[in-house]
Amino acid sequence: MNVVMVERVVAVIGAILVAATASVALRNDWRTPGLENHVFKGMLGLLALGAVLAFFAALGVLGKA
Amino acid sequence: MVSDLVLFSSFIFAYLYLRNSGQGWPPPGMSRLDVTFAALNSVVLFGSGATMHFALENWKHGHFMKYTGWLIATIVLGIWFLCGQGWEYAHIHAGWANSGIFGASFFTLTGMHGFHVFCGILFLTILLLQSVQGKYTQQKFFGLTAGTIYWHFVDVIWVVLFSIFYLF
Repeated sequence: MNVVMVERVVAVIGAILVAATASVALRNDWRTPGLENHVFKGMLGLLALGAVLAFFAALGVLGKA
Repeated sequence: MVSDLVLFSSFIFAYLYLRNSGQGWPPPGMSRLDVTFAALNSVVLFGSGATMHFALENWKHGHFMKYTGWLIATIVLGIWFLCGQGWEYAHIHAGWANSGIFGASFFTLTGMHGFHVFCGILFLTILLLQSVQGKYTQQKFFGLTAGTIYWHFVDVIWVVLFSIFYLF
């Protein structure tokens, strides 16, 4: 297994973990009131989106490689 | 943070304008960026956003040791991301440094973001020291909330930069 393959596998596993974690955190905080919590929810959503993008990039589906 | 948002937005829109101005983007003959490495480095930064969220949640629930652990994990992941960015700069093709506005856009935006990550690491380290010294309580912890918002902001900016430079 070469270095690129190791990077790819670690990135894919990490992206799944981060996307799942951010989604669960978002679901748990969904009903919390207050402006700061709304900001956190928006940012958790974008974090999950970023992890999904990284997942597809690591798989080679997205990206200009 | 709003001023930072305006700053990044200005540079991002300038980059997108130049990119779509029809002069060929990236310039012919330029080597491609390493998308796989960037994806791994991005996952590290996004992971730090999740650990920061856990740190704040544990503080709110009075779990000081867990809070400390998650905050230290966030700082370590932030340092890891910066090291990754440094490695990428060191190994990027020499043509990038002389590619005119294309390389300038890349290094300005990613460098500015890296500087914000560096400031965030300092910010979180100060918060860690202050919370160990007992400066915050379970009722009064605005500094921790501000630190978490700042760190999420840095993460979200990277979602945009990662997308425009490496993916689309």
